[in-house]
Amino acid sequence: MSDILKIEPIDNWLKKNNWAIYNHQIETLKLSENGYDVLLVAPTGGGKTLAGFLPSLNDLINNKPKKNNLHTLYISPLKALTIDVHRNLTSPIEDQGLDIRVETRTGDTSAYKKNRQKVLPPDMLMTTPESLALLLSNKESKDYFKNLKYLVIDEIHTLVNTKRGDLLSLNLSRISSISPDCKRIGLSATVKNKNAVLKFLTTKKKAKTLNVEETSVPKIDILETNNRVPWSGHMASYAIRDIYQKIKKSSLTIVFVNTRAQAELVFNKLWQENDNNLRIAIHHGSLEKEIRRKVESLMSLGKIDCVVATSSLDLGIDWGDVDLVVQIGSPKGISRFLQRIGRSNHRFDEPSNALLVPSNRFEYLECLSAINSIKNKLLDETKEKKGSLDVLAQHILGVACSEPFQVDELYNQVINAWPYRNLTKIKFFEVLEFVKNGGYSLKHYEQYSKIGVNKDKFYAIKNKSIRNRYRLNVGTIVESYMLKVKLGNRTLGQVEEWFIEGLNEGDTFLFSGRVLEYQSISNNSVIVKSTSHTQPKIPSYAGGRLPLSTELSIEVRKLLSKKQFWKNFPSQINEWLKLQSKFSNLPSLNGLLVETFPRLMRGKKRFFLICYTFEGRNANQTLGFLMSKKMQRIGYKPISFVATDYALAIWSINEVTDVNIILNDDLMLDDLYEWLEETPLLKKNFRDAAIISGLIERSIPGQKKTGKQVLFNSDLIFNVLKKHEPKHLLLEVAREDSYRGLIDLDRLSEFLKRIEKNIAHEKLDRISPLAVPLILEINRQTIDKSEMEEYLLEELENEMLSEVGLN
Amino acid sequence: MKTIIFNKHKFQISNEGILFWFDKQIAIISDLHLEKGSSFGYSGQFLPPYDSEETLKKLSKGIKSHNIKKVILLGDTFHDKNAFNRMPEKAFFLFNSLIKKYEVIFILGNHENKLKIDNINLLNEYVIDDIHFIHQALQKSIFQISGHFHPVATIKSSIKKITAKCLLHTNNHIILPSFGTYTGGLNINDPALKPFVNHKSYVYMLTKKSIYKFTSKEVEI
Repeated sequence: MSDILKIEPIDNWLKKNNWAIYNHQIETLKLSENGYDVLLVAPTGGGKTLAGFLPSLNDLINNKPKKNNLHTLYISPLKALTIDVHRNLTSPIEDQGLDIRVETRTGDTSAYKKNRQKVLPPDMLMTTPESLALLLSNKESKDYFKNLKYLVIDEIHTLVNTKRGDLLSLNLSRISSISPDCKRIGLSATVKNKNAVLKFLTTKKKAKTLNVEETSVPKIDILETNNRVPWSGHMASYAIRDIYQKIKKSSLTIVFVNTRAQAELVFNKLWQENDNNLRIAIHHGSLEKEIRRKVESLMSLGKIDCVVATSSLDLGIDWGDVDLVVQIGSPKGISRFLQRIGRSNHRFDEPSNALLVPSNRFEYLECLSAINSIKNKLLDETKEKKGSLDVLAQHILGVACSEPFQVDELYNQVINAWPYRNLTKIKFFEVLEFVKNGGYSLKHYEQYSKIGVNKDKFYAIKNKSIRNRYRLNVGTIVESYMLKVKLGNRTLGQVEEWFIEGLNEGDTFLFSGRVLEYQSISNNSVIVKSTSHTQPKIPSYAGGRLPLSTELSIEVRKLLSKKQFWKNFPSQINEWLKLQSKFSNLPSLNGLLVETFPRLMRGKKRFFLICYTFEGRNANQTLGFLMSKKMQRIGYKPISFVATDYALAIWSINEVTDVNIILNDDLMLDDLYEWLEETPLLKKNFRDAAIISGLIERSIPGQKKTGKQVLFNSDLIFNVLKKHEPKHLLLEVAREDSYRGLIDLDRLSEFLKRIEKNIAHEKLDRISPLAVPLILEINRQTIDKSEMEEYLLEELENEMLSEVGLN
Repeated sequence: MKTIIFNKHKFQISNEGILFWFDKQIAIISDLHLEKGSSFGYSGQFLPPYDSEETLKKLSKGIKSHNIKKVILLGDTFHDKNAFNRMPEKAFFLFNSLIKKYEVIFILGNHENKLKIDNINLLNEYVIDDIHFIHQALQKSIFQISGHFHPVATIKSSIKKITAKCLLHTNNHIILPSFGTYTGGLNINDPALKPFVNHKSYVYMLTKKSIYKFTSKEVEI
């Protein structure tokens, strides 16, 4: 390890703080100086951020380029990260009295500051992909970026293969055309396919990946408990007391959960346990910005003992000395979990400390698999996605807003963006037509075209108001319509409109860690008051739950199929699996276990068919539909099905005798298209595409909804478009997103190939131990959750357990 | 279809939202909002320009199998004063065959203030026997059939909430749902509808397949 960088002020600053210089920091600097674009892949806490900025700092210190030019642009997927990195960079700059101006620019930046940045650009600007798109849509953008020397993209792996990444990639390509010599540095966590990330970063030939291996293995345990791990459910209430004890012993703990609803519940339960008055806070994406900032700063000041958080605290922010990370529920993917445990002991030569808390029995297996995967350095793979056309539509308008463009020039710029490299000119023109006037075969809107051709054959926006509207609709993240939650004069945060619609006056719900009573809606706000109730309705939010990753699924099947692993399991899990193997069979590594058994359901005899696929909830959902359709045709009269991450349960009036005729290759062909057209998912993806592409406008906070709605309902146009222009660009986008995304089609077809001729069918006379969680899930999903019914559920659970001999 | 007795006259509502008065060979429809889609074009939102065609097809299909002579449109037939001129050819053709085939009465809606179409008269009110056909319901004791509000209602089943367009029948009022393809709705619990909703109200919720009749108590207000 060399000890100096030869950048005097930085060397002095490191020395003063007794900080070592890492090899990869020097390497990054060298490569960049030699004209390379660099992708630095390193675990968290490896001095990655500093490495990313060294080439630029070096240039600013030693070469002293012209002032009042934007020199370095830093892009991060998180606003909070821009603030954090800004703070970290300011430290050496102020300490050494360097004449370098660093500023942030995000959606939260004041208009005053934004204007000043326009007139007097800082040397370094920290921003997000959306704010960058906005900057580039300014008329003066060419001038603004023409002297840009360095581009640093942080947490770049989270952007690859996403629509946000598409938008960024298009804008990077645009910056290249403005400032061709600008060098890029990408910072990434450890990922499976590094080459894909490098390609996303740069299409230049002079590009290299620097890989820093993890030097310490994180220490991960599964919570040991005397309580029974529940059969189903996701709230892990059984473990709260044990978790509290761990928090007590640590100085700063982050408790990660998978959904905002879980966050609220866990937070509430922890406070009920909080006899020692620990300082426990909550942090999730729906909370008001000020509340989140306050929690973050309390963390970094060490004035807090524990934070319950969702993915809002996932990424590389260094808020204080976290010494324990607790993950409640399975992390569902290996990379995500690594990211989270990296939050503790943010020094990469010290091991991280993490505790996993499975919320049900299958999750226990999942958690164990996650630990094994990390030991064996397995990582999740992300599927490659080609550049989305709705994002391209947004981009084309953005370019037109900044300056008139020539079609061929823009096309070449677009295909220079990695996700769009294979875009044909025909498709490009189709998108251009869409931007101009909707892209309908009926030429109805030509007189209103947003962009038109001027006398020099350049495309330009028709008027200024188009730019203003574009600016309100930039970005690829489409949120549900949100309402502010107001307690007196204080705004606590936002909730989705549909959640509030489900409440009646006087209903209580958990939000921002408090139990609140719903009173009314006025002026786009939910008016609430404090209440003494302790048993609230739980807010549940759309999304948030990721399906089990393919890699984890393989690991879980491995664990199940090899009995020698079981001896280390807690006795309750061990017993459960042993009983399963005695009573039925175990899922094999490459085959499929199918169980069938009769069971009374609401007093009627039904035949259950269970497939233990372990392919994730979405693939199972799709499988469930396809199988039901086929069963219907054969005459088994299926009634309904339930899908979890692990298995699929279908129940029918007639008994399925031959599963092989249902589960074969044809399954995919027959009914898939028909189903897709009917699913709510397609409608949702259509809505997103319609908003991203600018066909319908975003709901702007503060914009009033009056009597008859101002906002256009995308479902209405969806149906009309499907009928009149079934091949319309936006329907194409929506279909592609649906196939690719939640339906998990590829995964399903691989699964069907794998299990062909390898199906073990167990015909049982009653429910098996492995099927218990699933049958419980059926009741959870189909029964309303009033207290009375919770009681019924419990009764049912006990009944089933004695049935299989576990009680 | 479901039957509604309104001041001793017998009306029938179809699940598409057409009110029939078979004794008089009349079909009553409200709020077509033709060319609502293209009205967004001014601001650069290019919605699929097929809503008028859809609406008019649905209308003619809904009445052609019945013995109907007269069609009463309760206003806001056109979304704005230029809507008629913006109609695409197909929609225009459908509109013309409608007014050729039936005697069509146009009530003037609030969206149509400055609308002028040759040979078409927009009336403030049209009366048959003791029934007044108007655009927006009045707080008067005369028997009125109107539109304007685009009423929708929400009912809570044990599994989920269902919201659908509805016909509202309260004492001397029948308020029709909007018929136009791109029209949204106003929930009957909205303050604007308060004068016309009470414990004697009946709500006919219209779905793709059927019509469900509820009392105002069963519907969430």
